[in-house]
Amino acid sequence: MIVAKRKPFDEIKDFLKDYKKVLTAGCGTCVAVCLAGGEKEVSVLNAELDMARRLDNKPIELGAITIERQCDREYLEALDSMVEGYDAVLSLACGAGIQFLAERYPEKPVFPGVDTTFIGVNQDVGWYEERCRSCSSCVLGMTAGICPVTMCAKGLYNGPCGGTNKGSCEISKDQPCAWYMIYERLSKQNRLDNILKITPVQDWQNQKPRTVIQPGYKTSENSAEK
Amino acid sequence: MAAVNEINKGMNDRRATYIEYAQAVPLAYAIDPDACIGCGLCENTCLAKAVKYNDKEEETTVTVGSVILSPGTKGYDPSNLDFLGYGKFPNVVTSEGFERILSAGGPYFGHVMRPLDREEPKSIAWLQCVGSRDINKCGNGYCSSVCCMYATKEAMIAKEHIHGDLDAVIFNMDMRTFGKDYEKYFLRARDKEGVRYVKARVHTISEVPETGDLIVQYVDESGERKQETFSMVVLSVGLTIPDSAVELAKRLNIELNHYNFVATDPFAPVETSQPGIYTCGVFQGPKDIPGSVTEASAAACLAGADLSEARGTETKTVTIPEQKDVSDQEPRIGVFVCNCGINIGGIVDVPAVQEYAGRLPNVVFTDSNLFTCSQDTQEKIKEKIKEHNLNRVVVASCSPKTHEPMFMETLEACGLNRYLFEMANIRNQNSWIHSKAPELATQKAKDLVRMAVARAGTLKPLAQKVISVTQKALVIGGGVAGMNAALNLGRQGFDVILVEKDAQLGGFSRKLHHTIEGGDILAYLDKLIGQVNAHERVEVITEARVTGFGGYKGNFTTDVEIGPGKEKRTIKHGVIIVATGAVEYQPKEYSYGDDDRVVTQIELADRLEEKGASDLNTVVMIQCVGSRNDEMQECSRICCQNAVKNALHIKKENPDTQVFVLYRDIRTYGLLEDFYKEARERGVIFIRFENDAPPKVKASAEGILVSVKDHILQRDITIRADLLALSAGMRAADTDELSGIMKLNRNQEGYFIEAHVKLRPVDMPGEGIFLCGTAHGPKLISEAISQSQAAASRATTFLAKPEIKLSAITAKVDTEHCVKCLTCVRTCPFGVPMFNTELGVIEIDDALCHGCGSCASICPRQTIKLSFYEDDQLACKIDALLAGGM
Amino acid sequence: MRLDYPSNIKIIRVPCTGKVDVMHLLRAIQKGADGVYAVGCLEGACHYNEGNLRARERVNHVRRLLEEIGIEGDRVRMYNLSSGEGPTFAAYAREMAENIKMLGPNPLKKH
Repeated sequence: MIVAKRKPFDEIKDFLKDYKKVLTAGCGTCVAVCLAGGEKEVSVLNAELDMARRLDNKPIELGAITIERQCDREYLEALDSMVEGYDAVLSLACGAGIQFLAERYPEKPVFPGVDTTFIGVNQDVGWYEERCRSCSSCVLGMTAGICPVTMCAKGLYNGPCGGTNKGSCEISKDQPCAWYMIYERLSKQNRLDNILKITPVQDWQNQKPRTVIQPGYKTSENSAEK
Repeated sequence: MAAVNEINKGMNDRRATYIEYAQAVPLAYAIDPDACIGCGLCENTCLAKAVKYNDKEEETTVTVGSVILSPGTKGYDPSNLDFLGYGKFPNVVTSEGFERILSAGGPYFGHVMRPLDREEPKSIAWLQCVGSRDINKCGNGYCSSVCCMYATKEAMIAKEHIHGDLDAVIFNMDMRTFGKDYEKYFLRARDKEGVRYVKARVHTISEVPETGDLIVQYVDESGERKQETFSMVVLSVGLTIPDSAVELAKRLNIELNHYNFVATDPFAPVETSQPGIYTCGVFQGPKDIPGSVTEASAAACLAGADLSEARGTETKTVTIPEQKDVSDQEPRIGVFVCNCGINIGGIVDVPAVQEYAGRLPNVVFTDSNLFTCSQDTQEKIKEKIKEHNLNRVVVASCSPKTHEPMFMETLEACGLNRYLFEMANIRNQNSWIHSKAPELATQKAKDLVRMAVARAGTLKPLAQKVISVTQKALVIGGGVAGMNAALNLGRQGFDVILVEKDAQLGGFSRKLHHTIEGGDILAYLDKLIGQVNAHERVEVITEARVTGFGGYKGNFTTDVEIGPGKEKRTIKHGVIIVATGAVEYQPKEYSYGDDDRVVTQIELADRLEEKGASDLNTVVMIQCVGSRNDEMQECSRICCQNAVKNALHIKKENPDTQVFVLYRDIRTYGLLEDFYKEARERGVIFIRFENDAPPKVKASAEGILVSVKDHILQRDITIRADLLALSAGMRAADTDELSGIMKLNRNQEGYFIEAHVKLRPVDMPGEGIFLCGTAHGPKLISEAISQSQAAASRATTFLAKPEIKLSAITAKVDTEHCVKCLTCVRTCPFGVPMFNTELGVIEIDDALCHGCGSCASICPRQTIKLSFYEDDQLACKIDALLAGGM
Repeated sequence: MRLDYPSNIKIIRVPCTGKVDVMHLLRAIQKGADGVYAVGCLEGACHYNEGNLRARERVNHVRRLLEEIGIEGDRVRMYNLSSGEGPTFAAYAREMAENIKMLGPNPLKKH
């Protein structure tokens, strides 16, 4: 799941300082699940904005809507009739959702209400941990299900480095060494030979947005894939 | 025709046709034959032809299987105690009279005034033990058990009601605040509210003729003669058995004791000398309301056990009309504003509130009543609901905690869903606390009514689910209380599983020998264990530990681990009785543990049982060890009688042994007072000490040296004792694990909390869970027995029904918008929300949901609603309140 | 017990403080209340285990949110007591009223 966190209030307030009528749009999937951008957070943020703007003697009119997913155009459609009536849109969706929304209404200023942070897991209510950087070349099969790109401070595909220190990373005692964990788990599974295999490094240069079309889903519209 | 109002102790008049008091049941008029002049006007005037002027007493015969005698008590009449001046000086009243003075329905409508001149008193003296603990003047040697508490309460309320400062003084010999949480109440009165407590028995009251004030003469503890002047004197009269009850006992051939209370055995506290006839309340012995209510249930238990085969054969069911569907209707709200006598009406401008309510949106009808809770008002409300086609009802009166269910029933009786009801608490939260500012109170009443009306408009009909009941009980704890509870439930015809953590049944009682009356505890215990083991419906599991718990009223599941092998077993049951008991405090004081000559009362009893007292020259006992101190504020209730019991044991075995009891207040309540008297007669010396000057103890080769300041001699004395017995108080058994697993609430002292001190003394707040024995608080064996019978009785009311209705206040998920984020699953304190893997949705089981709303307030998509407390049903109250402009 | 406390305090009944939502507290301030406080069971003695602890967290959260906006966080408080503590209830009510008196009216009321 994509995990996001609410932006500092002052930043949001500053985005909206010149607008009198703003629609706050929540997203009902990932950001709702991580308690950052669902109905609840929309109403809390609007209450805050309302009060703050009244205190500044610059009252603001706020609308609220939360749709299933802002990264799906069918769901975004629900906004079409509303957006027109507002000076700007504040989206609490992830970076993808915000962009998709902004793309749909190119003439409307769209602002982010959250910082999209990582792909992670739910440890408990309100507690999330990063597990994946979406590198596009998954090595978990060789690393006993532990992602070195995410967990290793250097993101090394081949490790450990000389900074490994009794299970910890050199950057902090509290930060476990990813490659130490990989070694331990592989050894338990009698698969230590895997650690000797060399994985070619990921070329992070010249990055461009990636597109995925699942096999069997190619249509004439999306066949323009590069 | 005017007649003297007896209920108000003659302080005002009433008519010859009258209702005794506003809360009387049935609330119907009667004709006072002594005052009636026989005009017959009432019969002719009554349009309903309800008056039967020539009605005569009739004798009827009813055939019953058991009888319960609860004829009640009569306050002692102090007219014969001429030195107190009752009946002679108008400003000397009895405590019963003073209760009426404090009452809104009393002669002065709740304003504290003295009878002579209707002036507010500046000082009031309460005289304790009038008609109690007095063999000299009235022959009532017993303690009435309740007067210390009620005098304290009266003093506190009087202080609250009176506009200026009131000097409230309670003259007492001992303050006997021995009940659960009573000591805290006493301390609050003394230390926070400034009620003065003087240790003295007043010997003369005289009147200052010019003012009507009263001169109270007494001898203080140091022997000095003193006198003080008061505006008023209240005689704290004791409880007596009315002659009519004595007559009744004679007719039924019931044995009474020398004070005319029913003669009972300590091990059979509510059984009379006639099989099948039971007793409860003060007729059994002096006691307070919680004790009486408990005993009432106990008597019902035994009476019911005799009849268990016939259960349900002659019941009539109330038919509730079919519910009207009002879901499509606009809200039509009726507002009923209560005067509550003068409780509300005396402060709040009720007509103004009613008028205001009439102008609120959706309100189509308003009314006000003297007592909205009275039976006839219920009828009136029903009529108005029908007449005005009301579909929501607001009652502005008192607390929903006490009255909501009753009003909800009224709604149901005319086809309205019970949840279309809202209360505004304009008494407890308003008139009672803002009595000094009537205008503010009226404004606040309007605010509260506006909030209630706003909410009423948002209420929806809710359906209560009906579930089946597992007609089987689980009793936790195999002591005297647990065993009695189990046995009595078995006798009611229900299967019971009794779990005990030790290998043997018996609990703390195994350490005891005799009751103060001489009852052989171990013999009783043997018999009881035999009966429990032999009963076909009772299954005993020893060495059992509760490890898991789930379910809900009527359908509980408890996991236990049994024996050294930790064999696991899951028990399904419909009710729980908690009887986990208590233990003796292990003193840290007075060299206990360092010197063999310092023992607890339990150890002393063991020693007396084994070796007698012939080798003892001097025994000193210290009371309140581990009780009534900073660490444990409460009184342990049983220690005074324990000390007296052991002191008597010593004196009977060896009259030459000197016994000194160092005490703070001797609390031999009720009939125990006789034993205290006997102990003094046999030469036991009682020396009172103050909490801030406790005895000092020094061990020496010659004996234990105990020094204490003697209040009569006004100097320190030192006693050389062979043995020092500490009256160690009681401590609740360690129930940390159990209370965690079963989610049962305990008070600061570790005792389990009952649902309501007076009204539901053996119920726990969770439904289907009951409480008895010392797990509830310190008590005597006889009290634990009657309480366990009461718990069995209350549990029976639950088990006797094959099905029950559940509260409709539960959380509901809108599965369509739910994103299954599991936040509710992880938040629910009871693990109720579940992901249904088959349907792929989050589900909340109505029967399991406790209705706390934790899930509703955390749901990120706001898809969970707690019925009756939906977000808009709360938000509208906030909005309505603030719309008024605070 | 009929203990006096200021009449400008009105009580809204909830089944447990665990039901008290951030939104409810914010809404009270937003609509012009000078203060709002939640009264729950003693910590460790919640009838529903930890409803009162969650409420405390939420109250603290709301206090931070208000501070962010420029409204005194101390207008929102949480108090804990047991149902038997009438005098404490009244004392807290008076304390809260005093606190609010010190803070003055809700700044939103001027706007």
